[in-house]
Amino acid sequence: MSDPYKVLNVPRSASDDEIKKAYRKLAMKYHPDRYQNSPLADQAAEKMKEINAAYDQILKERKGAGTSSYGGYSYSGSTSYYSDGRASVYVHVRQLIISEQFDEAENILSGIASTERNAEWYYLMGVLSYRKGWLEEARNYIETACRMDPANVEYASMYRKVMDQRSGSAGGYRPNQDTSCTNGCCEFLSCVICANCCCDNCCGG
Amino acid sequence: MREYQLYKSVYCGLCRHLGKDYGILARLTLSYDCTVFAMLSMSLKNEKCTVTNGRCTCNPFKKCLMCDSTEGESFAFAGAVSVIMSYYKLCDTINDSGFLKRTAAGFLRLLLKRNYQKAAKRFPDIDRSVEEMMEKQLAAEKENVGIDRAAEPTAQLVSKLCEMLSSSQSEKRVLGVFGYYVGRWIYLMDAADDLEDDAKHKCFNPFRSKLGNDIKETMTYCNETLNMTDAQLIMAYELLPISSYKDVLDNIIYKGIPKQQEYCLFEKKNENRRKKKEKNYFDYLNHQEWQK
Repeated sequence: MSDPYKVLNVPRSASDDEIKKAYRKLAMKYHPDRYQNSPLADQAAEKMKEINAAYDQILKERKGAGTSSYGGYSYSGSTSYYSDGRASVYVHVRQLIISEQFDEAENILSGIASTERNAEWYYLMGVLSYRKGWLEEARNYIETACRMDPANVEYASMYRKVMDQRSGSAGGYRPNQDTSCTNGCCEFLSCVICANCCCDNCCGG
Repeated sequence: MREYQLYKSVYCGLCRHLGKDYGILARLTLSYDCTVFAMLSMSLKNEKCTVTNGRCTCNPFKKCLMCDSTEGESFAFAGAVSVIMSYYKLCDTINDSGFLKRTAAGFLRLLLKRNYQKAAKRFPDIDRSVEEMMEKQLAAEKENVGIDRAAEPTAQLVSKLCEMLSSSQSEKRVLGVFGYYVGRWIYLMDAADDLEDDAKHKCFNPFRSKLGNDIKETMTYCNETLNMTDAQLIMAYELLPISSYKDVLDNIIYKGIPKQQEYCLFEKKNENRRKKKEKNYFDYLNHQEWQK
């Protein structure tokens, strides 16, 4: 196994607080919510595991064995693809997305007549476009989904993520803003918290 | 400042390498994009380089630091990309320009042809990818497609080029995604920059449907599109095993890209609308950031 201090990018002499800080910083960077619907979600999850394991190991080494309850961030994969009993075809499409059969998923969606396309259809098309890198289409689809079903938290959370990225808070240039806080760490934090709430709601509901 | 010097030394080293490999004309094809590509390659392959003091061959009065890549694999690859891309760009200019420009491009293409053939023979993969990209781009423009589809050929090309930088499957995947968004960014940045000119000359531009009375509003839209691309690009970048040159690459990704958007979309428009592009962001950064 690789050196846990190297993984967290801290010197061996770092204090517990410094280590915790470094861990939190990295955990935010590779947080599953940030990579949700990204084609690299699995690799980010791998990285997250590595970071969690490294942090766990350092804690163990420092405090003695048996105290691994650090309450780390976990990767809970497919929780967002819940279904509340909508038409079974969308359940099927969601399953295809989870098992990474994107072409098949897109084929099925394209086969649905335009008169029968509901908010879910637009949302799923948005997710597929987002993954593919067709970000303008993704934005349009997700916006339409939100407009058709404004109460849906899942659509709203994805839409918020898209608009956050467009504003430049996740990288890029933000007009009318001082360059002092361009990386938008604060925004990202609050965004993660929101997304977590949304996820919780979904799972609970 | 140190980062800028390191960057410059790679640029000069690559320029000299092109001169040795191909000839004086090939040196002129070198762009900043290819330099960044070479640095990314060196970083991933962990290639060491020695920096020596030298003199610029194009301008012997100028002293410069030069990076000599001992293994040279990255330089050879990036150099071939530079030559091949320039050759196809000239072909493109010949196809859709006025008489004067076409003649000049035809002349240059003739001079560059042997260099191109040499590079294409050495790296047939690059040649094939670029050729394919050019065909797809032409078809996309004929069909007057939307933003995503218009950016697709360039995005796919850079994606393929980046994938060639690694032999590990999982690294290839990250590089492919990273390259896709870099290509998308390059294409859309260029398109946004050319928007007003293209509209005047009635040329294809993916942002044309977004062009309204208020240019600032249009540019804000373009900026948002680029920002979303940046967000994806950064997510992929942070999964790459960057070793050497991390500071320079970080600087380009986190500072250079936003600066370029700011400059091209907002500042330049105010500064001087008529003055044609192209001030590279490194020139720009040279004055703004790194001189501090």
